[in-house]
Amino acid sequence: MAFRLLNSRLVQAQVVPGQRLFSQRGAMIAYTGDVSFTPSITGGQGGVMGMIGRRVAGEATPLMTVEGNGSVMFGHGGHHVHVIELSGETLYVEADRLLAFDGSLQQGTMFMGSQGGVMGMVRGQVTGQGLFTTTLSGHGAVAVMAHGGFIELPIHPGRPVHVDPQAYVAHRGDVRNKLSTALGWREFVGRGSGEAFQLELSGNGTVYVQASEEKL
Amino acid sequence: MRGLSQRPGRSLTFRSVAQFRLQGSKVLAVDMTGDAVKAKNGSMVAYEGDMTFKKMTGGGDGLRGMVTRRLTGEQMTVMEVKGHGTCYFADRASEINLVSLTGETLYVEASNLLCTEATLRTGTSFTGLRGASQGNGLFTTTVEGTGQAALLSDGTAIVLRVTPQTPLSVDPGAYIAHTGRLRQHFQSGVNFRTFLGEGSGEAFQIRFEGDGLVYVQPSERTTFGGDV
Amino acid sequence: MNGPVIHDAQTLPVNDNVNPYAFSVDLNGQWFLQKGKMVAYFGQIAFHGIGHGPLDRIIQASFHSPLHAQDWVVAEGHGRMVLADRAFDVNSYDLEEGNLTVRSGNLLAFEPSLALKQSIIPGFVTLIGTGKFVAASNGPVVFAEPPIRVDPQALVGWADCPSPCHHYDHQYMRGVLGGVRMLTGFGGASGEEHQFEFVGAGTVLLQSSERLMEERPTGTPPDEAGVPQGGTPSTTANQPSTPRLPGQLGDLQRRFGL
Repeated sequence: MAFRLLNSRLVQAQVVPGQRLFSQRGAMIAYTGDVSFTPSITGGQGGVMGMIGRRVAGEATPLMTVEGNGSVMFGHGGHHVHVIELSGETLYVEADRLLAFDGSLQQGTMFMGSQGGVMGMVRGQVTGQGLFTTTLSGHGAVAVMAHGGFIELPIHPGRPVHVDPQAYVAHRGDVRNKLSTALGWREFVGRGSGEAFQLELSGNGTVYVQASEEKL
Repeated sequence: MRGLSQRPGRSLTFRSVAQFRLQGSKVLAVDMTGDAVKAKNGSMVAYEGDMTFKKMTGGGDGLRGMVTRRLTGEQMTVMEVKGHGTCYFADRASEINLVSLTGETLYVEASNLLCTEATLRTGTSFTGLRGASQGNGLFTTTVEGTGQAALLSDGTAIVLRVTPQTPLSVDPGAYIAHTGRLRQHFQSGVNFRTFLGEGSGEAFQIRFEGDGLVYVQPSERTTFGGDV
Repeated sequence: MNGPVIHDAQTLPVNDNVNPYAFSVDLNGQWFLQKGKMVAYFGQIAFHGIGHGPLDRIIQASFHSPLHAQDWVVAEGHGRMVLADRAFDVNSYDLEEGNLTVRSGNLLAFEPSLALKQSIIPGFVTLIGTGKFVAASNGPVVFAEPPIRVDPQALVGWADCPSPCHHYDHQYMRGVLGGVRMLTGFGGASGEEHQFEFVGAGTVLLQSSERLMEERPTGTPPDEAGVPQGGTPSTTANQPSTPRLPGQLGDLQRRFGL
């Protein structure tokens, strides 16, 4: 099961019987073959508990289940699409960035505060994306969207990467995040600059950053 | 920021140290070794290493620049980024175009200027009527000196060479910058009238004559002119 | 660092893309352009509004609905002309004794050797004949072979295949989930219950996004029995965009975001 990028904005997925996909609702561009699209009441897996968990977590992005036999093209809003292959790791991504992903991946939500402490909560407020983020783990592919192109920055031990919270898209690996303030941040107070707060990612992994400070 | 680079493994070059490179077409990566760049406020998306960010008033030209800018209405909020490491800049998924200056002057709309090396001086100049047509004020930003500048454009910019034999006409909304010895004036001699009377009088173009380069974006801002 | 490519009056491409967002026309005679799509030109080129003056004959040959002509200008002369549309992807297409139907808002420019006609499908225009035209799309265009079902908002146009029809997901609409939704309003729609379906020989053009480009009026077909959308503005097809009403300023209004 794979996603194939047709161009920077469009991804094509093969759907085979017995393997389902999840995608953001309304993101189907075209399909051939016999494919059905069903709104996913539970927002993916996890049944009622998962649904409640999502309601509480505020991460209830409308998803649909894609099943059948054929080939489907996905795209959304003209945003750039990037395919991330997971082989046993965990991807942390805001739910509204998800275009489509393998149904075999384990979904979950993570309380960002548990990692970053109080600062983690502030992060949620800064990005306006809530305190919870979606996790996907296992083996499979994820198609993620961003405004403008993606850059992929490696995070190495002892070499943290600082990211504008508005430009942050996703990260993977063994990574801790916390909110930091830039040196000289006083200069910015009351000026509404995005550089007052930065998301500091440290550990070992990869962070995906978009070429824009705009949310989707 | 200029000087002989003396670090081992580097050739001795008389140039500024900050290295501008594009990461894809929409992210500018600047490698810095203790030096500084001026960048549009809020355009940092990520960095590695140690960086400090300082807001500059008046587009980084000090008090005089601030007064000039107040008067001219050419808005430019700039920050100084200084440190060791790599800093990544982007602005609303705009395309980024690098311009190397060797002593000449770059004229650019302030909103299209993303980042300049600290070696470059920025100022304002009177542009005449063109600015008025775009609602950007009558003044435009100038960048002078030797070093690199990064320009923003909506879609990949096209660089067009103007020679005395081949003058160029540009839609005011698509113009972003120019260098060289160019005269510019409004051209409205376009025979343009529709049978419903709608949309007449909108055929303004800027005509560039002389010798130089004009940067044009494949998109048009809201303008009074240029409905052709 | 490699500098950017510098083009001059000679090295601008001849009827080809300068980059994915800009197209250069080597003008030697006439071309039709949608208003506001020329960004720069070298040479001697004059722009005429359509519907008056010495060009009436060519307009008669190329335009078959007078009502949308106000959105077009004729570029006449010699030189290189760069066309672009709000940084959307731009592509040129060659027709050889062919026909292609395209969403009206996506068409930027065409050679006078082609004829532009209103399509029976509201909101679309059909180009017939031999020649080149330039169209924009939100994201690169993908060509697909029928049979295929397409999100209505992603459809740019189609060539040859004369069978565009609606397809509804009856399994969903009549199925358990649909019933639950009707009873409780809970569960929502997948957003994909309705598609355009194409079968037969031909090519379907898709853009890479379901975000529509702004519609251009194609004119109103005569109010006759048997004419789809006859007597009503065609822009209301399935568009969120507002149709142009009498008394509105049209282009000017759009440009100022009123």
